[in-house]
Amino acid sequence: MTEPLLELIGINKSFGPVHVLHDVNLTVRAGEVTALVGDNGAGKSTLIKCVAGIHPTDSGEVRFRGEPVHIHSPKDAADLGIEVVYQDLALADNLDVVQNMFLGRERGSGWLMDEFSMERAARETLASLSVRTVKSVRTPVSALSGGQRQTVAIAKAVLWDSKVVLLDEPTAALGVAQTRQVLDLVRRLAEQGLGVVLISHNMADVFEVADRICTLYLGRLVADLPAKETTHSQVVELITAGRSGELGLARPEHVTL
Amino acid sequence: MTSTPTGAPNLGARPDEVRRHNRTVLLRRLHIEGPCTRASLAAELGLNRSTIKALVDGLAESGVVEERVPRQRSGAGRPSLLVLPQAHAAVVLAVDIRVEQVSIALVGLGGEILGRNSWNLRVRTREPAEVATHVVDSALLLAADLGVRMVAAGISVPGVVRRSDGFVHEAPNLHWTDVPLGDRLGSVFDMPIMVGNDAELGALAEHLRGSARGSSDAVYVTADVGVGGGVISDGSALRGTAGYLGELGHMVVNPAGRSCYCGSRGCWETEVGERALCRVLGLREGAPRGSVVAELRALAADPAQVRSRLGEFADWLEVGLVNVVNVLGPELVVLGDLFTALPASLIAEVAESVRERSLVSRAVGGTRIVTSTLGADVTLLGAAELAFESVLGAV
Repeated sequence: MTEPLLELIGINKSFGPVHVLHDVNLTVRAGEVTALVGDNGAGKSTLIKCVAGIHPTDSGEVRFRGEPVHIHSPKDAADLGIEVVYQDLALADNLDVVQNMFLGRERGSGWLMDEFSMERAARETLASLSVRTVKSVRTPVSALSGGQRQTVAIAKAVLWDSKVVLLDEPTAALGVAQTRQVLDLVRRLAEQGLGVVLISHNMADVFEVADRICTLYLGRLVADLPAKETTHSQVVELITAGRSGELGLARPEHVTL
Repeated sequence: MTSTPTGAPNLGARPDEVRRHNRTVLLRRLHIEGPCTRASLAAELGLNRSTIKALVDGLAESGVVEERVPRQRSGAGRPSLLVLPQAHAAVVLAVDIRVEQVSIALVGLGGEILGRNSWNLRVRTREPAEVATHVVDSALLLAADLGVRMVAAGISVPGVVRRSDGFVHEAPNLHWTDVPLGDRLGSVFDMPIMVGNDAELGALAEHLRGSARGSSDAVYVTADVGVGGGVISDGSALRGTAGYLGELGHMVVNPAGRSCYCGSRGCWETEVGERALCRVLGLREGAPRGSVVAELRALAADPAQVRSRLGEFADWLEVGLVNVVNVLGPELVVLGDLFTALPASLIAEVAESVRERSLVSRAVGGTRIVTSTLGADVTLLGAAELAFESVLGAV
């Protein structure tokens, strides 16, 4: 078996006196959807932001395809092929689909942008993901529904040939039917061989798309389980108590009162 | 594909039946081949221009097609109007039940996917009742979201299915036996429900919209956890008694092989199915599809590795395909699903040896072996076409 795409080893992060991440180990493999679950404040978003280069880590190692790397800025992450999709539909409203997908990385030279090639690439990318809900790639993003916006944000990751896509609650701002469409897309990303990390609060969603479920509890990664062999209640116990039967944090053996 | 207007060969056709037949043929042409001018419709269908006008006007009035002046003019004179099928005029539900996943899609006239959904199956959610309930729930949700009404449903099942009433005799990889799937869904949805075997529907999709377009004798071979086949012979699907044809995955190829759940030993499926592929790639059995694809893609970049790691797998693929070509005599073999992820060099090599080894292939001047171009949606599109079969005559 080939080495994991992205490996986090012993990541620590504090904000002032608050120790947010304690020795977190996380592995992202190509072609798998890894769900990252945990209560509010467990450190999920912080962990994603550390990988995305928004927050520096205090200690720990990040390996990309087995090689140790240093991610100091979002640009470093993008150069490695790590793309992040946020919950708040972060696209520029006044631009159209093509302009958004190429924002900051426009093709062309000198004075002229190569609109034709950008348009074609955008269309091909959407087609390769069998996205047929976005009618025209020249539609302004403000005219798209929430689900379509997330679709565009995710398609951007594919267009830039990303290896790892981190989705921070991509469906939090969406309705039920649109959520389904986005999750379907997440599934197909993995089937194309990308490594996908999905943060979600919705257990039903997690079980429908994830291959592995990693649980964070108060900044510690307490369990990394295959979704097929895990039950709903086990995950809920891990999220709320940090342990479930033999899984998760070790039971305190000696309690002194 | 074509039938006499009345359906009964020994009866004459009344004018309204002829008209209905022509209308269905025209609609099928637009549905499969896409937009087309009135003039070329007349030429292709061999009908009078005024007949075409009457038919198209009738369809346009009921909103099934729209007419537009074509952007590019082909010659002198008044341009012939372009006839476009309207996706929302007839929307069908397509369901692709796989061993580890269910996908559904709403497909409009012309084969456009309007909306879709999918979910993973696990031990408990794989129960027939659970799957049926989930399909109903999410289909209704999707239809409401898109504001469309479904008029028929086509369902693909990886198993042995009775076509007449959608009774699933056996879907071994799903652990289903004797499931009245068609009746169950029919009692909830007030529309025709058609159930078919996954490989057979894949063959249908390839024949109508994919690589096998225009070839009248083709075989579609697909690999998921199981391996199956669908056969297009002389332009229509070969079904066998009660439609049970096509279990290519259970051809016995290796007498010394592993035992198969079907009760036999050394079935082709045990050598070229997903589990076999995981084995040769050194992945654990039941690894997610994405990681198999990622592994194969990484491997494709290194030609020396391809032969050494996939050599035995390729040999078994070749053995099976030689048998398939010799028995069925197709002009084209389309490899679908998991096979599309195999390195192109490997497919080319296998195709070449099959051409050399197969007597039939040599006789017909070389059977072509290609991979599917429809990607992961092939079965879904096939299920939609199955549903459309019952719809096009009634729109």
